[in-house]
This record gives sequence, structure tokens and C-alpha cells, in this order.
Amino acid sequence: MLSVCPYFHVHQPYRVKRYRVFDIGYDNQYFNDTSESDLNNRKIIEKVANKSYRPTNALLQELLDTHPEFKFALSFSGTALDQFEAYAPDVLASFQQLVASGRVEILADTYYHSLAFFYSVPEFERQVAKHTKRIHELFGVTPRVFRNTELSYRNDLATWCEANGYIGIMAEGWEKYLGWRSPNHVYRPKDCQRIKVLLKNYKLSDDIAFRFGNQGWASWPLSAETYATWIHDHHGSGQTINLFMDYETFGEHQWEDTGIFDFLRSLPGMLLAHPETTFKTPTETIMDYDSVGEYDVPDVLTWADTDRDLTAWTGNDIQRDSLEKIYALEADVLCTRDDYLIEQWRKLQTSDHFYYMCTKWSEDGDVHAYFSPYQSPYDAYIAFMNAFSDLQLRIQHAINAQTTAEVEPDAVVTIPQLLWWLRFKLWWRRMLSRLGFFNNTSHE
Amino acid sequence: MLHGMMSSVRIVLYPPFIMRVLTFGWEYPPSRNGGLGVACHGLTRELVATGTDVLFVLPKQQRTQGNNTFIFADAELPDSVVVKEISSALRPYGQANSVVQSIIGYDEQGNPRYVARTIMEEVHRFAHQASLLAARESFDVIHAHDWTSYVAGVAAKRVSGKPLILHVHATSYDQAAGDNVDPAIFALEREAFAAADQVVVVSNLTKHIIVTKHGVTAEKVTVVHNGCDIYDPPRHRPVLSAYKKAGYKIVLYHGRISIQKGVDYFIAAAKRVLEYESKVLFVVSGWGDMQSQIICQVGEAGLSDKVLFAGALWEEERDTMYQSVDLVVMPSVSEPFGLVPLEALQHGTPSLISKQSGVSEVLTHALKVDFWDIDEMANQIIATLRYDALPRQIATAGKLEIKQLSWRQAAAKIYQLYRSLLQYVT
Repeated sequence: MLSVCPYFHVHQPYRVKRYRVFDIGYDNQYFNDTSESDLNNRKIIEKVANKSYRPTNALLQELLDTHPEFKFALSFSGTALDQFEAYAPDVLASFQQLVASGRVEILADTYYHSLAFFYSVPEFERQVAKHTKRIHELFGVTPRVFRNTELSYRNDLATWCEANGYIGIMAEGWEKYLGWRSPNHVYRPKDCQRIKVLLKNYKLSDDIAFRFGNQGWASWPLSAETYATWIHDHHGSGQTINLFMDYETFGEHQWEDTGIFDFLRSLPGMLLAHPETTFKTPTETIMDYDSVGEYDVPDVLTWADTDRDLTAWTGNDIQRDSLEKIYALEADVLCTRDDYLIEQWRKLQTSDHFYYMCTKWSEDGDVHAYFSPYQSPYDAYIAFMNAFSDLQLRIQHAINAQTTAEVEPDAVVTIPQLLWWLRFKLWWRRMLSRLGFFNNTSHE
Repeated sequence: MLHGMMSSVRIVLYPPFIMRVLTFGWEYPPSRNGGLGVACHGLTRELVATGTDVLFVLPKQQRTQGNNTFIFADAELPDSVVVKEISSALRPYGQANSVVQSIIGYDEQGNPRYVARTIMEEVHRFAHQASLLAARESFDVIHAHDWTSYVAGVAAKRVSGKPLILHVHATSYDQAAGDNVDPAIFALEREAFAAADQVVVVSNLTKHIIVTKHGVTAEKVTVVHNGCDIYDPPRHRPVLSAYKKAGYKIVLYHGRISIQKGVDYFIAAAKRVLEYESKVLFVVSGWGDMQSQIICQVGEAGLSDKVLFAGALWEEERDTMYQSVDLVVMPSVSEPFGLVPLEALQHGTPSLISKQSGVSEVLTHALKVDFWDIDEMANQIIATLRYDALPRQIATAGKLEIKQLSWRQAAAKIYQLYRSLLQYVT
């Protein structure tokens, strides 16, 4: 018995417009580019919807209808869902229809596609909670398997997942940590007793996600038939083939003219032609197979670049500095209790902003340039830091306004009656705060 | 057996082929003119280091550095007129009818007697001397740098029949910063390009100009980007340190003050920056025909206390300035290459350069802006001054990058070009 566990990740960031220093203090909209450039978020959503989301969802629906055994998983960033709702509601509806089939699982994620786990666990938890709530609202399901931004993973993340009730987590199946072992089994994360980790078969996943349209590749053009034999070859040596990739592989990273849609259309049939091959969702995979060993990842592992670490986001000074600065705002921005400011702050945490600032050389650098809407990493950094400065300024103003608002009534008191009233109020507040139930500070 | 084999082999030793290049230039370090001399020196030094014999011809006697052979057309040719330079007006950056004054002798009271010639006359005199020289010397290839030497190169080719390479460091279109070119220089360029076997340009930008404007076929044009020195220069005691202590950031313009260089855009951006950041000092280092206009612009904008004119800085003074400032701006309207950002990086200082420069084709680690976009220029200057990680990142990554842009690599491409021109010559 061999099962295939496909999972597609759907994400769109809120790209920061060309926000200039002159805008600081005057413009609190960072993501509303209206130009013809690739910084126009609405334009991008509309473009990718036509190239990828609409045709792929139609095709996936068709596959679910034709093959009762066909199953897969999706993960969404909240920023993508919000933008679908605003700019392409029909896309959101078609996703809801897929999930309604009961054969499409949704994974847990951070709402803002952020690296918060590595910078602030409390903020990470708030974003996961917000994501869970949103998924439940839109799809009526509660995710049980967790995947973190860019498939980033570390032992302590698995421990967190176990402590928070998840049954499994996803990670890259990387030789550095696997050694001679195969990614085609289920493993137990180090220091965990109950949860299991599903490992991406990066060779077979990237054959589709990265190499499919590459005419210089030895296996080009890849037919569904050939690919199915590659998977069938694992009968006897593996239990699950985990194919994890960006959803946008279909039609956006690999354009329609590469034949990617025809490939996807024929693949499930080809795979199911072998009587011992089936599809499983991540939950089923985790429930059906026992772990065969321990997966020990002490340092951050991701699915990006040839390094498989965080250097695509934290590799240089401007990336590290801007990441540290954005997380340093946490205490102040939460203190404002201003939903708009907090939302802007979180949108600025999306990992893509830092990915655009990457200056790594070699082939990876080319990949970064392809996915960046900015002309250079420095342009990306300048736009980001200018927006950041504006946000910082607004947070400071909000806090100053709060303190003056709190100070004023006490300072203005000259009339004795008022003074008594205030004393009474203060005493009453103190009494209430002694009763834990009314003490709202404990919630922060 | 072995002995028998050995004796049956006849070993013929040919003398190793050493290529000899007759090179014409107009200036050479430490002459204080500009990038042309620096580029000639960088290329010549590396060619000589890799075993090419370079005979470098300069129009007049000057102090030179390096271990190749120099010939001064004014001094060594028996029938040349002895010209002593009295001003720095004889430059390849002028107009064709710019007047050059030379001392031809002294009167009875000991006062110098001048003769005035146009640059065009000087160019043709240089060519005449070149033809005499070409008849006398033996060499394999002719290489002429910049427009003032083109005619000399063509003359040497006519006399010797050797292949000619013209090296374009700038065109009349760059100097005019537009279509208002000097017709005499343009005509000279066209004719010389037509007569050359190969034309070397310093960027794709320049290639585009000479293909579209001068009608040179693209196959005849080779792009050899300039390089830079890659050793770590000595550190000097910083200047303007009182300002730095007072919390000022310093932004430098270094180069000729002429329309081609876009200094007026630099001043306009400075004004915009100072509306947002008061503690910034702008330094203009250089000379040029637009100097008075720029000074007036500064006065008009009320920036006299924020824009300093440092005059032309050379060698140690220039290096000190590069090391003391926070950002170097090269706002060129039209820049065939532009060595300034590479020099700045050598000293660990980041640059903001115009996209209309050849160097932006090869340098990734720099801020880039359209020269006319004053707001964006100001935006990027302010960002660099405010967000410390930005200049740090550009300088660190840029310093690694310029190691790939050495003069040796540029010279290697030139050498390959020489070889390709000589492949059918026996």
C-alpha cells in the first residue's frame, strides 16, 4: 500500500507600495498601490486569479468529481483570504466548494504568513488563533495539522504543536536531518510523544514545482505517465509520498503553455491505475501510519533555496535589522489597542517583505529576483522602512494621546467636590482590581 | 631505446611571441583630469603584468607612473614643436573649437609668448606625429583611447597597415548630455569608427549610442566594462570630523561639474533632503564649466551653509573624502561608465548612482535612480542616512562585488580582442 499526500499552499502578501520618506506622517496606507506595477495588490490578485486560481480550482473540482479516491490538503494565509474576499470573491467561493467535498483538508498556519514563531511566541499564538477562527468562519472546519510559514520547522515548534492539541506538523524532508532514512514514512518529532511529522519528498515535489517547465531538464517534457511510474517505484520501500508545493505552481510559476494543467488533469487517474495506490489527507496519513523513527531538527529548517534555512529572509543586515525592528514594536503597538495600527503592524510581518530584500548570489538570487516586485532589494528595504517609520510614529502618537487622556481628569481637579468623586472612583477601581475577575490587565 | 627516441626528436625553440601594442592616449596618471587616465592606467598596467608590451604615446611630456614604455609626442620626435603646457585647458572633455593656449617661447623681457590653437588642431598635430612614429616603431596592434586620439590611431594604421582598436570612453552625445552634439567631434567619431577594425566601448549604454547614432555595425563593437583597483587602500585621518561629531551626515558628489554629470540634480535633491533632515552636509568635489551656475543654484536655494565646494580633490585628499562621507552620489545624465561608485566602495562607502550610467550594468550593490527623479533621489538619500543597516549592507556586499570587477579581467578581454585581430596575421 502506497498513499500520496498532496498539499498546496495558497498565499499572497500585501506588498508595500513605493512609500517615500515624504509620506511619513501623512499617509497611513502602505499597501494601496494603484499603479500598473507589480506592487498593485489588487492587480496581482486579479492576474493570478485568471492564470492560476480559477482554472486550477475548476480542474481540482473536476478531479474530485471524477475520482472519489482523490484527496488533498490546502493551506491559506489570512492575507490571501482577505484579498480574495476583497478582489476576487468568486475564487474564495470556489475554494469553499472544494472544501465542502469533505476530501480537502485545511492546515493550520499563521494568519500573516509571518516568521513570528522565531521572534515572539505570544504574537505567533495570536496569529495562529486568528487564522483558526477565520478558517472556521469561512470553511466550517478546524485544522488539526500545522504547517508554519515557508515550511519553517524546529524541534520547539513541534513541541508547541503538541502542547496546543495538533496531531501533526509538516516539514521538509532534508538529508541533513534524515541521514540515510527516507522521507516516505511518518516520523516522531524529537521531544514529542503524540504528534507526528510529515516530511516533504522534495525531489518529487520540486520535479513539478520547479523543474516541470525547464526545457534544459533531462526529464523534460514530463508526462503524467512517467511521473506516476516514479511514484509507483516506491511501492514496497515507502508508505506515503508527500508532495508539498505552492498552489500557484499551477498556472503562475509554471505557465499554462508548459502543459501543467494537462499534467494535473491526468495525474490522479494515472496514480490510481495502480490498484495499491491511493490518496490520503495529512490527517489520514498521520492516523494510518506509525512513526518509524525520530526527526531531530535543532536549527531552523525551511523549504527555501539550496540552504533550506532562514537565510533567504535573514541572510543580510537589512533583513535582520528590519525584522528585529518590526518585532520590537510589539509591546507598544498592542498597548495602543488600536485595531488599525495592529493590523498594519501584522501585515508588515509577512515574510515576503524580507524575502524581497535578499541579496544572496547565484541561482537562488535569480529566484528571488523573479518573485520580487521591486527593482532591487534596496528599493524593497527603503519602502518597508519608510512605512515602518510612519507606523512607529503613529504608535507613539497613540500612546502619547492615551497618557494625556488618562492624566487630564486628575490634573484638572480644582473643585473639592470633584476631588472627592475622583478619590471615590480610584478607591472603587482598586477594590475591583483586587477581585481577579474584573482585573483586565491579566488578559494582556 | 629511450636514448634513441630522444635523439630522433628535433626540438625547435621559437622565441615566445610577445605582443607589442602601440597605444595612444591623451592623459595618464598622476595627471589630474579624470576617469580616462585612470582607465588607461588600469588597463595598461594589467596588460603589461600579463606579458604584453605596451608602447604608450601621450601628446606631451608629463609625469607618468607604471613600467611600460612611454613616448611623448612633443619631446621625442625630432620635428615636433616643443609645447609646454601652461594651463589645464587641454582636455578631452572640451568642445572642438575650445581654445588651447600654449607657450611657444619667451620674449626679450622673459614674458611667455602664447599661441592659441583649437583642440581640433591639437588632435591633428598629434595624428601627424603619430604617423611619423608609426613608421619608426615596430608593433602588432594599434589601440587608441578616447576621441582625441582616434585620428592618431587612424593615421598610424594608414602608415603601418596594422589592425586598429578604438576605445570609446565617452561620445559626443555623452558630453552634450543630449542631442545637441558638437558636429565636428561627431564627424570625427563617425569617420574614425568606420576606419577602425574594432571598437571597444565601456558599457552597453555606449554601444547603443554608437550603433544607433554613429551607424557602427553591432558586430564591430565589443563591450569591455571598466574595472577598479581591488586592494585595500590605506585609511586616512577623516575630514569634516567636527560636523560628524555634531551629528551631521555627509553626502558627496565627486566629479567634473558639467552638464553631463547632473550636478544640478544633486543640488535639487539636496534641497529636498534638507526639508526633512537638517543635519546633512553636501560636499561638491570637482571642477568644470558649470561651476558658477551650480554655485548660483546653491545661493538661490539658500543652501550656502549646507553645500560645501571642496574644489578638485586628487589622490590622498580624494581618498580621505571618500572615507569620511556617508554616501556618494553620482547623478550623471549620461555616463558611459562611471568609476566613482567603484572607487567609493573600495574605500567602504556606498553609492547612489543614476540608472543612466554604464556602471549600473555591472554593479548590483548600489542604490539606483533615474537622474531626473529628484524626489526618489532625495528619498533614497534620506533612507540611507536614517536606516543604518542600509549603507552597512551595501558597503559590505559591494566590497565583495568589486573583487569581480578588477582591471585584470577587463585587460584579459582586451587581450583576447588583440588575439582575435591577429589570428590571420603570421
